[in-house]
Amino acid sequence: MKSSSAAAETGSEPTVAPSAEAGEAAGQSAEIERLRAENAQYAHYIRSKTNQLLQVMGTQPLRPEEFDDRQLLSLDPIGIIAGSFEQVLEHVNDTISQLSEARDELQAIFDATGVGISIIDNDFRVIKCNEKQRELLVDRDLAAVAGRYCYNVYCQRDGPGLDCPAMETFATGKPVMVREVQKRNKYFQVISTPFARDLQGEVTRVIEVSLDITEKKRAEQEEQRQRGFYLTEKLKFATVLESLSEGLLVVDTAQRVVSANTAAATIIGRNKEELMARELSSLFTMLSASDDGKGLAAAGEGICNFEITHARDDGSRLLAVNSVPLQDAGASSIGRVLTIRDITEEKQRRETYYRAEKLAAVGQLSAGLAHELNTPLGSILGYARLLLRQDNFTAEQRDRLALIAQQAKKSNTIIQGLLNFARVSTPAGKNESRCDPNRVIGEALQVLAAELGQRGIEVRTALAEVPRVVIDAKQLEQVVLNMLLNSLQAMKESGGDITIATTARGNRLQLSIADNGPGIPPEIQSRIFDPFFTTKEVGEGTGLGLSICSGIINEFGGAIDVDSEIGHGTTFTITLYLEQQL
Amino acid sequence: MADNEQIELDILGQVCPACLLVVLRTINEHRDLLKDGAASLVVKTDHRDTTRTVPESAAKMGYQTMVRKKGSYYEIIISSG
Repeated sequence: MKSSSAAAETGSEPTVAPSAEAGEAAGQSAEIERLRAENAQYAHYIRSKTNQLLQVMGTQPLRPEEFDDRQLLSLDPIGIIAGSFEQVLEHVNDTISQLSEARDELQAIFDATGVGISIIDNDFRVIKCNEKQRELLVDRDLAAVAGRYCYNVYCQRDGPGLDCPAMETFATGKPVMVREVQKRNKYFQVISTPFARDLQGEVTRVIEVSLDITEKKRAEQEEQRQRGFYLTEKLKFATVLESLSEGLLVVDTAQRVVSANTAAATIIGRNKEELMARELSSLFTMLSASDDGKGLAAAGEGICNFEITHARDDGSRLLAVNSVPLQDAGASSIGRVLTIRDITEEKQRRETYYRAEKLAAVGQLSAGLAHELNTPLGSILGYARLLLRQDNFTAEQRDRLALIAQQAKKSNTIIQGLLNFARVSTPAGKNESRCDPNRVIGEALQVLAAELGQRGIEVRTALAEVPRVVIDAKQLEQVVLNMLLNSLQAMKESGGDITIATTARGNRLQLSIADNGPGIPPEIQSRIFDPFFTTKEVGEGTGLGLSICSGIINEFGGAIDVDSEIGHGTTFTITLYLEQQL
Repeated sequence: MADNEQIELDILGQVCPACLLVVLRTINEHRDLLKDGAASLVVKTDHRDTTRTVPESAAKMGYQTMVRKKGSYYEIIISSG
């Protein structure tokens, strides 16, 4: 470690040579005095300059008692301060060099930055602006911007506008940002910041930064346009979906409902809200083995169509389902779209139509046959009866004649049946007759009372008070009699019960005739309304009874359905329009 | 400043402006070492004005200073800026 002495150094005392002679001594003495005076003058000069330099260095002047002249000279204060000044000067030069470098860097940044920058004085004159500012806001043919009014060169105005951020910064002394300014068909974000202030603190210059946000603004406008377009399309799409009479369900890859229209909710029999997020398989209640959900499960693999029977609170419905895979823009599966159509009535109408067509064809054929056979059969029966009145036949011959007459009569009965069938099957306009169904049932039961009693069949009735139905009383009686006879014949060996019930459901009457007979095998249930279809022995039935019933009921806009189970019995349900609901 | 040389200057009992002149002379003498950062100057003074005048002058010469109170005196550490 080095150490520096703090003591002020002192010089050696000056010596004066003794004089040889008085004159010479006097001269020398005078010279010494002059030199002393001169030294004192120099010392004073040095002290005053030292004090001056010390004051420059920021400290107080030398006190006379602190250093005498000799000590002062030996300390060499001017040399010390000169050395210090040399370092101060070196430091100043370094600083100037650094400042110059910083200024160049700043200028480079000022020019290279992507935003327009201006320095503006409180008279709104541009002190300086960078190249970007010129490029953005200044006419190309304008050579110099400095010294011009900013509102002239940037805004093409004669004075600062009320929306001028620089004006607000001069007024408030605070930074101001204007988010969106339109100039020269471009959009800018302008920020004005105080840059220099006077002694009173008033802002004398501001830096104004202009950021070109045209691209951003255009992108926003385009995004807004696209959003509007998308929303409109979405609304259109939603309206189209809602206007569809077909039910539409959109499910995700987990088979959960993500979108549904009102028609789908109505067809399925639930609220729209109830459908959302539910699994597809939980929405449909399958009724038969053929609708065990295989169609729904397979629907994810491609476009497919299938039918399902769906149990709703108000009855079972037959639904036609079309399933189409749904993909995103990258062709990845995101679920599928199912359109659902309730084809219950459509299918019933189609079946009724086919049946009616078939009946009409058979009816025409039957009418022709009956007409052709009726005349010769009448002759056979007439001549047989005439021959029976003669006495010249043996008993055996009479028996044969009686058999001819009996068989001819039986044939006549069949022909009458054919004629009846033909009349029903031939469109003859809708009969507008009305009748009380309960009264008709009562009359039919009276007709069959003896037969029922003989066979030990008990008939129960559950007849509700219902309005009149749209059908001719005689024709309804024929239908009821046919149905009852059907049941009687079914239970001819086993005996049993028959239950007849009427009930009003909405605008329709439901008339059911149920027996607990052997039931109808499933494989023939769809054919029992076909003409000439019978399960009776040959010659025992014409196979026209249920066809005639079906024809009559269809003619009045109704329907007959059968529900039968082997060993448990059969229920025929007739549906007809009620008068007051028409 | 942990590894560089420390030059001590004891000016206890002296007052300004003598203090300042002595400190400036010492800085001048060790200018190269101080500028290079090879040494720092530690001045011990009990004159309060010195804690103002020395840092001000040293700053103008491009040095950085730190003043610490050490019991009955001050320690002014002068090093390269």
